Amino acid sequence: MTPSSDDIEPTAGSTVDAGLHLLDRQVCDREGRLLCKVDDLELQEAPGEPPAVVAILVGPPALGRRLGGAVGRLVCGVHHRMVSRPDKGPLRIPFTAVRRFRSSVELSVTAEELELGELEAWLRVHLVARIPGADHAAG
Amino acid sequence: MSRLLGVMLGVLTAIGGFVDIGDLVASALVGARFGLGLAWALLLGLVGICLFAEMSGRVAAVTGRATFDLVRERLGPRAGLANLAASVLVTTLTLTAEVGGVALAFELATSVNRLLWVPLVVVLVWAVIWRVRFSVMENLFGLLGLCLVAFAVALWQLHPDWSALWQQLSAPSVQEGEGRPTYFYYAIALFGAAMTPYEVFFFSSGGVEDRWTRKDLLTERVNVFLGFPLGGLLSLSIMAVAAVVFLPANVQVDRLSQTVLPVALTLGKVGLAVVLVGVFAATFGAALETALSAGYSVAQYFGWQWGKYVRPREAARFHVVVMAALLAALLLLMTTADPVKVTEYSLVFSAMALPLTYLPILVIANDPDYMGDQVNDRLSNLLGSAVLVVIVVASLAAVPLMVLTKAGQ
Repeated sequence: MTPSSDDIEPTAGSTVDAGLHLLDRQVCDREGRLLCKVDDLELQEAPGEPPAVVAILVGPPALGRRLGGAVGRLVCGVHHRMVSRPDKGPLRIPFTAVRRFRSSVELSVTAEELELGELEAWLRVHLVARIPGADHAAG
Repeated sequence: MSRLLGVMLGVLTAIGGFVDIGDLVASALVGARFGLGLAWALLLGLVGICLFAEMSGRVAAVTGRATFDLVRERLGPRAGLANLAASVLVTTLTLTAEVGGVALAFELATSVNRLLWVPLVVVLVWAVIWRVRFSVMENLFGLLGLCLVAFAVALWQLHPDWSALWQQLSAPSVQEGEGRPTYFYYAIALFGAAMTPYEVFFFSSGGVEDRWTRKDLLTERVNVFLGFPLGGLLSLSIMAVAAVVFLPANVQVDRLSQTVLPVALTLGKVGLAVVLVGVFAATFGAALETALSAGYSVAQYFGWQWGKYVRPREAARFHVVVMAALLAALLLLMTTADPVKVTEYSLVFSAMALPLTYLPILVIANDPDYMGDQVNDRLSNLLGSAVLVVIVVASLAAVPLMVLTKAGQ
């Protein structure tokens, strides 16, 4: 597909250079909040057709796999020890939840509908939200 | 009218915000040792930072993506992570130097030892980041930083031999008794001081915090192309007063008190008070910028929510990174590390980390997929590529020269 500054709608059957237009891009929710990066993609291959993107994979397990080597193992290992359900694997955002993508990937769902950010939640509850003023944006 | 005021305010802020502890230390030190013979390195760095800050600000205004988003996207996760590690290290080291600089300014004003001021400064920096509105923070310290104009006034009052200064500036030569490696070592330090990576992290992320759009491109350009060069003039006058006062007397400058001494000599107590306010504002403002930049770069690499525009509880990881950077700076300074030495090392290390930050900016600023009709023009690309070559050479030469010259001794 030819690059353009227009929005790209993820219509079924359209082809994109996933490495260029998707991987490592910022993911935002419906309200424009920053969620995560496209750490990896789940592809489905059918014989005779180009592979289709079915989900965005998020989190240290997905990132660690792409990093590879000792650093990648370290990232996966630390994550494995830190989370409550270590065998769950990377988080999946089904590609049907993608509204459009341009300089960021915009979802049609909100952050709360996805179970993202165990670390964020832990730090919020145990540290940041306890400091006075955490509920007011400084702007 | 209000638009014009906004542009002017931006320019004044950029002037005052341009100078930080790196400039205060490196410019005075180099001025005392080499006169204006190394001013070309400062000017080269100034051209570089103008070009790349403008590109990063333009990308932020057009796409809403800040610099480390681009780094991860164009370098991929591996090289991006390497750059993240290096950038966070250098930024934290710079933060340490800035906090030390604020504490030194307090010590000079009160004669109370800087180590007692350091914890207070760290808490103050954090409190401002936590509570003060982004635009207020930016403008307040930028405007107060204009007090550094005292250096230019002092230069005027010293009645220097202008033609001799011009001679040093226009026909640079290595001073007698100084080796070529030392000369180029300090050239890299000055270049690094002008092009410290946190400046583009902060400038582009600040654009997103200020909710820049295409409409703000004019403001962005005027800030960069008027404000930064005028800020560079402040840096140059710091160098020039050191050249006039210290070079003939053969004095080595290695303390902040020496940097401000020429102002006290010519303008007296009032001048000293004004310049200390300027030093405080410049270092405190840069401490805010570096602490935020540590948070910005980590959050942008991992895609976390960041920024002062949301409630802190919604950007918990970002705020924890900022606090961790401040804590690291506090611990490092409490080992009684000399802030001026920390500054010198941070400048050379930042020169090493430069190419991985500036290359992705140049690439994305040329990407029509991102930028639409706002891609780089030919002149920006030509100059940007030329500066990038200098950046690569400086980053390769930084460590060998540091070893060879025993860090400039």
